[in-house]
Amino acid sequence: MKEHYNEEPYIEVSCIEESNMANESRRKFLRGLSFLVGGTVATALVSGNSLAVAMEHSLKPVIVGSDLLSDGKIFPLSQLKQLKDICAIVIPKTDTLGAAEVNTHGFIDNQLFHCYGKAKQTKIKQLLILINDVAKKNFSRSFTELSQDQQFKLLTELDQGKANFDKKQRADFKALKQLICFGYYTSEVGASQELRYLAVPGGYKGSIPYKGSDANWGSQGLYY
Amino acid sequence: MTENLYINNTKEVYDAIVIGSGISGGWAAKEFCERGLKTLMIERGRVVEHRKDYIGENKAPWQQPLRTKVDNLLVKEQHQIQQQCYAFTDATKHFFGNDKDLPYTTEKGTNFTWIRANQLGGKSLLWHRQSYRLGEYDFNANKSDGFGNDWPIRSQDIEKWYSHVEKHAGISGSLDNLENLPDGEFLPPFEMNSPEKALQAKFAELYPQRPLIMGRTAHLTKPTKLHLSQGRVKCQARNECHAGCSFGGYFSTQSSTLPAAAATNNLHIAPNSVVHSLIYDEKTNRVKGVRVIDNDDLTEREYFAKVVFVCASTIGSTQILMNSTSKKFPNGIANSSGVLGHYLMDHNYNAGASGDIEGFEDEIDRGRRPTGLMMPNFYYKPDASRNFLRGYALAGSAYREGWQSLQHQDGLGADYKNKLKQAGKWRFGLYAQGEMLPRFENQMRFHPTLKDKWGMPQIEFDCQFSDNETNMMIDAAQQAEKMLKAVGLKNVSSQVMNGPPGLAIHELGTARMGRDPKNSILNAYNQSHDIPNLFVTDGASFCSSAVQNPSLTFMALTVRAVDYCVKEMNAKRI
Ligand SMILES: Cc1cc2nc3c(=O)[nH]c(=O)nc-3n(C[C@H](O)[C@H](O)[C@H](O)COP(=O)(O)OP(=O)(O)OC[C@H]3O[C@@H](n4cnc5c(N)ncnc54)[C@H](O)[C@@H]3O)c2cc1C
Repeated sequence: MKEHYNEEPYIEVSCIEESNMANESRRKFLRGLSFLVGGTVATALVSGNSLAVAMEHSLKPVIVGSDLLSDGKIFPLSQLKQLKDICAIVIPKTDTLGAAEVNTHGFIDNQLFHCYGKAKQTKIKQLLILINDVAKKNFSRSFTELSQDQQFKLLTELDQGKANFDKKQRADFKALKQLICFGYYTSEVGASQELRYLAVPGGYKGSIPYKGSDANWGSQGLYY
Repeated sequence: MTENLYINNTKEVYDAIVIGSGISGGWAAKEFCERGLKTLMIERGRVVEHRKDYIGENKAPWQQPLRTKVDNLLVKEQHQIQQQCYAFTDATKHFFGNDKDLPYTTEKGTNFTWIRANQLGGKSLLWHRQSYRLGEYDFNANKSDGFGNDWPIRSQDIEKWYSHVEKHAGISGSLDNLENLPDGEFLPPFEMNSPEKALQAKFAELYPQRPLIMGRTAHLTKPTKLHLSQGRVKCQARNECHAGCSFGGYFSTQSSTLPAAAATNNLHIAPNSVVHSLIYDEKTNRVKGVRVIDNDDLTEREYFAKVVFVCASTIGSTQILMNSTSKKFPNGIANSSGVLGHYLMDHNYNAGASGDIEGFEDEIDRGRRPTGLMMPNFYYKPDASRNFLRGYALAGSAYREGWQSLQHQDGLGADYKNKLKQAGKWRFGLYAQGEMLPRFENQMRFHPTLKDKWGMPQIEFDCQFSDNETNMMIDAAQQAEKMLKAVGLKNVSSQVMNGPPGLAIHELGTARMGRDPKNSILNAYNQSHDIPNLFVTDGASFCSSAVQNPSLTFMALTVRAVDYCVKEMNAKRI
C-alpha cells in the first residue's frame, strides 16, 4: 500500500529534543496544529493538560544530593556513600553526567523502599557489606577509601564472578547494576542527554539513518 | 451541549437508558442521541473529562516519583489483581479498578484475572486499540464443529455497521484482501520499519498463506474532516495512550462518541451510579428502569426509560441481569433459557517465539508506533488433522534493543556506558492470540453469601482453559519458532506459558445471542428473547470468541442494535 505520510503537514513537535528550542517549537507546533484544527481549537488543545506539561519540559539537569548528609530509607549514610561510589564506577561521568551525579544512589534507596520487598532490600544490603568486606580483606581499607582504580578492579571481579566472588554474588551485582541502569536511564540526564528524548514524536517513521556513535532513544512511552 | 450534562436525581422518563460508558455504552448513547431520543447514560464510576483528567499524561519518567512504577503499599491495598495488567503503571493506575472495593472469588483449582476500569469511558481509555472485523468463517465456526451455538448473524448482517463505526472512530490499516479478515474503511496504515518490510516479503515468499500485515488500530494516522471537527488530530506516536490522549489520537468514549452524543443536546449522564438491578414490570413484560446505589454514599435511587441497553462490559452486564430477579425470572432477568453466566470466554496469549534479525545496523525507527504487525489466523478453515479446533493469530514487531537488554552484559565504566548508549541488534517475535472454545462449564455465578459494598452479590468465576487451548498454544509456539527460523532469524527461542483466562481482557459470552430462545439469551439484534425492550450489546452477547480483538465488533453490534430498536419503537412493537 502507498505510504501517505508525507502528504500532510508534518507537525514538528519534537521540541523537547533540544532545550533551547522549546519556545521556537512551541510556536511551530501551534502553527501546525492551527493549520489542522483551526486556531481556537489549537489554543484549547495546548492549554489542555498534556500539552501544557509537554511544553514546560525543561532540560536543566536535576542534581540532588551531591553532599550526602543523612541516612536513607533503606541504607545508612555509610552505605549510601558506598553506593554512590559504585554508581560512579558503573556509569561514570563522560561528556554527560554519570549515575552518581544524578543521585542514582538516592533513587535506589527510595525505589527499593517503595517498590521492592524485604528480600531484595536485604540482598542489596548484604552485597554492599560483602563488597566492603572484600575491600578490607584485600586492601585493609573500606570500599569508599579505595582509589578509583582499586574500586574498578574489585567491582570488575565481582561483575565477572572471579577471584573473591562466586556466581551467586555475581548475579546479585547484576541485580544492582540493573537498578543503577534503571535509575540513570530514567533520569533526565540519562534519558534526554545521554540518550535522545522525544516527548512528542509527531508521527512514526519506520527508518532513519543511524551511525554506531548515535545515541539510542531514551523515550519509551509508558514502558521502562 | 446539554445545559446540565450530568444529573443525579430526576423524575424524567427517558426514551433510552444506556448502562455503562465504555466502548459499547458510548456508541449506544451516540446513536440514540443522534436519532433524537432522550438518553440517559448511567456510569458507576466518577467523571473523567477529556484532557483535563488525564493526570498521568505526557510525564517523562523523571517527573514521576517512582519512575513509572507504583508504590508497593498502594498495589497491595488496592490493586493486587489490576497490577497484573501490562498497562498498569504510575501514569495509568487511576484508570484501573480498586480491587479492595471490587472483590470476587474463583472456584477452587481455577483462576480468573478480572481487569476493570470503572469510570466514565470505562476501558475505552485503557484499551490497546487493535481493531479487526470478524470473518465469515468466524461466524460459522460454532456451527461447523458443534461447539457452542450458531451465531444468528453472518458477515453481511454486520458489514455496513462495521463501516459506520470505522469511519467515525478512525481505524488505520492496510487493505489486504484476505479471505477471513475483511478489510474496512481504513485510514492509512502505520509504516513498517525496514526489517519488518523485509520479513513481510520473506513470509510472502515462503508462506503465501500466512501474510504479515500492519496491525489495524483505532488511531488517526490521517484524520478526516470529521475527526478534525471533533477536535481530534493526528496520532503523535507517543505510545502513551493508556494514560489518555489530549490529541484525541486514538478512539475512546471521551475523544469520539461522547462529544458526538453530547452535541445533540439529548444526552444526560448519571455518574457515580452503580446499577444494582433492573426494574421489571411483570404485567407488561417490560423493563421500566433501573435501581441504582450511589457509588459514594450508598443511597438508592431509580431511573426510568422506555428501553434499556445494558453495556456494562461482559461480566458487568451479566452481573446486573443475574441480580435482577422476580417471580417470573428467579434466576436472573431474561434467563428463561438458563444459560445466563455460561459460555464465558477470553483469548489465550500463552505462547510465542522470538529471535535476532541480522543486518539493518545503519538504520533505526523514529517515534513510538502504537501498534505492531499481525499475522492473521491461518487456521480459519476447519481441519481434522490438527489436534485442536479453531486457531490463533500471531502478533509482533521489530525493534532495536536498548539499555534494558544491553545492561545484562559484563562491564563497567565509560566503555559500558558507551555500549548502552547505542542501539543494539534488531529483534522480532511472534506472539499468539488464540481462540477459546465456548463451553457450558466455563461460567460466572454469584457467590452464595458474599456481597460487595454496594450490596451486589460477589461474582465467583469457574473458568479454565481446556486441552484444546493448551494443544493450540503448543502448536503456536512450534509454528512461530519454525517460521522465524525459516525467514532467517537467529537465536530463535519459543515458549508456552500457563497464564489463567482473563488477562487477555477480552471477556466474552455469558448472555449469548442465538436463534433459539431455549438456549440463548439474546436474538440476532442483541434483544432479549424474553423482554422486548431489553438489549445487551457488549461482549456478553458473543457466541464464539474468534481470535480477533473483539471491541470493534462490540461497536458494530451496538449501533446495529440501536438502529433496530429505534425502528421497533417507531413501529410501536417496543
Ligand atoms: C489494557 C487493555 C488492552 C486492551 N486492548 C484491546 C485491543 O487492543 N482491542 C480490543 O478490541 N479490545 C481491547 N481491550 C478490551 C476493551 O477495552 C474492552 O473490550 C472494551 O472496552 C469493552 O467495552 P465495554 O463498553 O463493553 O466495557 P467497558 O469499556 O469496560 O465499559 C463498561 C462500563 O460500564 C460500567 N459499569 C459496569 N458495571 C456497572 C454497573 N453495575 N452500573 C453502572 N455502570 C457499570 C463500567 O464502570 C465501565 O465504565 C483491552 C483492554 C485493556 C484493559
